[in-house]
Amino acid sequence: MLMNLSLNVILATEATTTSTEESGGIALLLPAPEELIAGLIAFVIIFMVVWKFALPALNQTLEARQNEIKARLESAEKSKEEAATLLSDYQAQVAGAKDEAAQIVADARDSGEAVKADIESRAEAEADTIKERGHEEVVAERDRVAADLRRQVADLSIDVAERVVVSNLDTEAQRALVDQYIDELGGVQ
Amino acid sequence: MENETAQASYVDGYASGLLGIATVEGEGIVDEIYSAALAINGHAELIDTLADSRVPTERKQGIIDELLAARASKVTVAAITFLIAAGQARHLDEIAKRLAYLAAEAEGEVVAEVRAPLELDADQIDRLTAALSKATGLRVQVKVIVDPSVIGGVVTKVGDTVLDGSVQNRFTELREQWG
Repeated sequence: MLMNLSLNVILATEATTTSTEESGGIALLLPAPEELIAGLIAFVIIFMVVWKFALPALNQTLEARQNEIKARLESAEKSKEEAATLLSDYQAQVAGAKDEAAQIVADARDSGEAVKADIESRAEAEADTIKERGHEEVVAERDRVAADLRRQVADLSIDVAERVVVSNLDTEAQRALVDQYIDELGGVQ
Repeated sequence: MENETAQASYVDGYASGLLGIATVEGEGIVDEIYSAALAINGHAELIDTLADSRVPTERKQGIIDELLAARASKVTVAAITFLIAAGQARHLDEIAKRLAYLAAEAEGEVVAEVRAPLELDADQIDRLTAALSKATGLRVQVKVIVDPSVIGGVVTKVGDTVLDGSVQNRFTELREQWG
């Protein structure tokens, strides 16, 4: 029906145009009243149709589009905020990790220094002990050797003396020793 | 343990029997038996022969006669021969010491076993007896044993007490002091 109406308007316009050409002057520029009315009616009809059907759909589409964009923008903003939060958290974690790493390194260094000092102290004490023990052993060994030597010399001297005495023990000497024994025994109270 | 007890009983029995004979024959018999027994005991090979059951008794008697006839009375020779024939060759010294102990005890004395490298004369024995009596506070009866292993001086044993005055012991003490 809209097509038929448009066709009629065009035919009317052409007819008007033909009439105008025939009258000449300013009349050439002005539409014929019937054409004007028909065009106006067609315009109103088209306007109403558009107003009634196309404009709401268009508005709805635009609104949906606008909402979608707005949602996307909000989502993007939200994502941005989340990213910023994550970045902040990450930076905080990195900073914490750095601090923790630094603390671990410091603790390890302190611990290492303490272990080193302890090992050095122990090694020094052990060295002193070994040194002292070695010295004591040397002294003990020296004393032992000296005592052995002294005993050997004494034994040798006594053996020699005993042999000399025994070899010179004749009967007179034996009797003298018996008398000496009796005298010593007589002196015992 | 039981055998030791029985042997101690035998030793005591033989010593008591010999003491009875010595009492009749005179005190010198105890000294002779003591000296002869300890002299024989000092020779291990002689003891082995006298203790050997395969050696005839007559042979053993001949050995004793040969050793003691010129130095001891017939009673002493007979007593030693009897003990060997009775199988007591290895216990001669124990029996002799027990005999001396019983004889001394009978007279209220204790035996002092004196080992010397040579015979002591009567004066030395008297002085030694007096010295030991003074030192121990007991009446002492000296029994001298000639022991060549004692080098210089005298070793006396009274009961469990040993008074070692040998040169050997003095050198031993010297070694201990220097050791």
